[in-house]
Amino acid sequence: METSARPRVAALALAVGLVLADSSIVVLALPEIYRELDTSISGVTWVLISFNLVIALAAVPAALVARKVGPGRTAAVGLAVFAGAGLACGLADELSTLIAARCVQALGGAAAVTAALELLPATVGSERRAATVWAAAGATGAALGPAVGGLLTELVSWQSIFLIQVPVALIAAVPILAVAKHEAATGIIEAEVRRTGRPHLWANLALAMVSAAIAAALFLLVLLLIEGWRLSPIEAALVVSVMPLAAILGSRMTERVADERSRAAAGAILVSGGLAGLAFLPKATIALTLPPQILVGIGLSLVLSALTETALGGRAPQAIHGGWTISSRHAGVVIGLLALTPIFTAEIDQQRHDAINAGTAVVLDSPINPLLKLDLAEKVSAQLETEKGKVPTIEPAFEPKPSDPGERAEVEQLQGELQDQLDRGATHAFSTSFILAALLGLIALFPIGLSRRVDL
Amino acid sequence: MSGKGRLSGRMLVIGSIVASLVLVGAYLAAGGSSYEPEKTQNPCQPRPWSNPQSLGQIANQFTISALDGAACQLGVSREALARALATPEGRERFEKRYGIDDEKLAKAIRAGLVRAVDDAEEAGALSPLIAVPLRQTVRNIPLEQAIEFINDAESFLTNAESFLGPAQDLIEQFLP
Repeated sequence: METSARPRVAALALAVGLVLADSSIVVLALPEIYRELDTSISGVTWVLISFNLVIALAAVPAALVARKVGPGRTAAVGLAVFAGAGLACGLADELSTLIAARCVQALGGAAAVTAALELLPATVGSERRAATVWAAAGATGAALGPAVGGLLTELVSWQSIFLIQVPVALIAAVPILAVAKHEAATGIIEAEVRRTGRPHLWANLALAMVSAAIAAALFLLVLLLIEGWRLSPIEAALVVSVMPLAAILGSRMTERVADERSRAAAGAILVSGGLAGLAFLPKATIALTLPPQILVGIGLSLVLSALTETALGGRAPQAIHGGWTISSRHAGVVIGLLALTPIFTAEIDQQRHDAINAGTAVVLDSPINPLLKLDLAEKVSAQLETEKGKVPTIEPAFEPKPSDPGERAEVEQLQGELQDQLDRGATHAFSTSFILAALLGLIALFPIGLSRRVDL
Repeated sequence: MSGKGRLSGRMLVIGSIVASLVLVGAYLAAGGSSYEPEKTQNPCQPRPWSNPQSLGQIANQFTISALDGAACQLGVSREALARALATPEGRERFEKRYGIDDEKLAKAIRAGLVRAVDDAEEAGALSPLIAVPLRQTVRNIPLEQAIEFINDAESFLTNAESFLGPAQDLIEQFLP
């Protein structure tokens, strides 16, 4: 690679990492967003769904545009749009404005990522090397996403997640501007011009299913940790960082198994196994989420790389087929979120109801004064009513604590028992969704099985 | 698959299946399938008294019996009724959610109080001489007072004891 090409490669990798990390960064901010914008879990999910939906729809057309008008210009304009929309996201004070800005941001992102795929082979010298840089950038973004998202949400605000993307996108756009100017001046488009072949149906279908399962894993786990178990965004970010770290471990395994179909099948099984583990957590303890996360992390690394290689293998141009893989992955995320959100929000409601009853039973069966216990039971109920549609918090119902030390100790013990019931309810509320996500991962085994025999 | 340091695809798939099954099996064995809120008891099922000693303990059991009895009659959980009776706002929410008006509520709470008196008598916490007039009293009291009896069973039982106790002493003097 020429020295002059390095800033451009770095800029392209930064652009890809930034856009593809966007989902995982934002997941950590969702609980904060839905509290601040006073919406529901279903409502706030659209901050994620809208972005992924637009990328899914726009990836292939954006790749075609990049090939027609020039990838440099497309990437530069895409990054500028991504930055501008990011600013709008950061300034949004209503959910509808935020979602609209996210759609525009996704349009810019789709243009930037697919154009980057078109530019990379010419910049690094080969399509294979370009695919490696592109995959590494995406993986790094996904790995850093949760930690950065959690850190910014807790230390600054959820808005900062979007605002910080503005200068990063503009920095990435600077070296690409030179390509854009060159294109404008000479009319030369750096991408190779070849006839587009058909996308690999089974590999892309499997990618969509596995992505649905993986998105559910990250999204549901973050909600469980922050809203169910009351972890701070930074703590939750640390916990879910296990998944991308395990993915790095999995990528080493990738190099040791050449057979793509076996890697894809093993990855899908591990993702499903990890999700099933999360569905059957025997206690509300962070440590117990780690083994399932390790399975999901290793699994996603195996399955995503194998399916992407299968989808791109022997197909040209890579940008278009890369566009199809981006489209499939993001469509999968959308399907996963759309299918599972209503299920787990209904479950949260049911479990909330069961947990309130179980908690009230604990209060009623306790030896404390009946007057105090009935008052507590009502305060608990009122507190939980105000959090309809959300996983409840119980502390305010127990404030102020009785001044009598004996009564205070009894009330604190009660609060602990009640919290246990709520933890049980919150954890159990996610079980069905994790099981369904695990099933999605297993269903992906069918297209994976067909991916070599029937090469569509 | 050949080559040093390489894994066969079959081994990788088998390893993935084993790892997944071990994890899920271990979590299920540790109680993963039953980690959910405890189920609440049917209020129509009898809830035996646990040999109360002090007036406070009797009042506690009395409240629970009364709630069970009323909840059973209304077809709601004891827990939902307890939350409803604590404050007027709680009662409003209860009425809205279950469509139960004050008349139905009063009838059910009176029935609950009768069950509580029955249970107290059966457990030996109330003598029959106090239980009989007490049962008559709670059958006709207005709703607000009935709710107060449940919420503050200790005062209710203390008053009953101080009011009916001398009469009981008098009757006992004439009994063989």
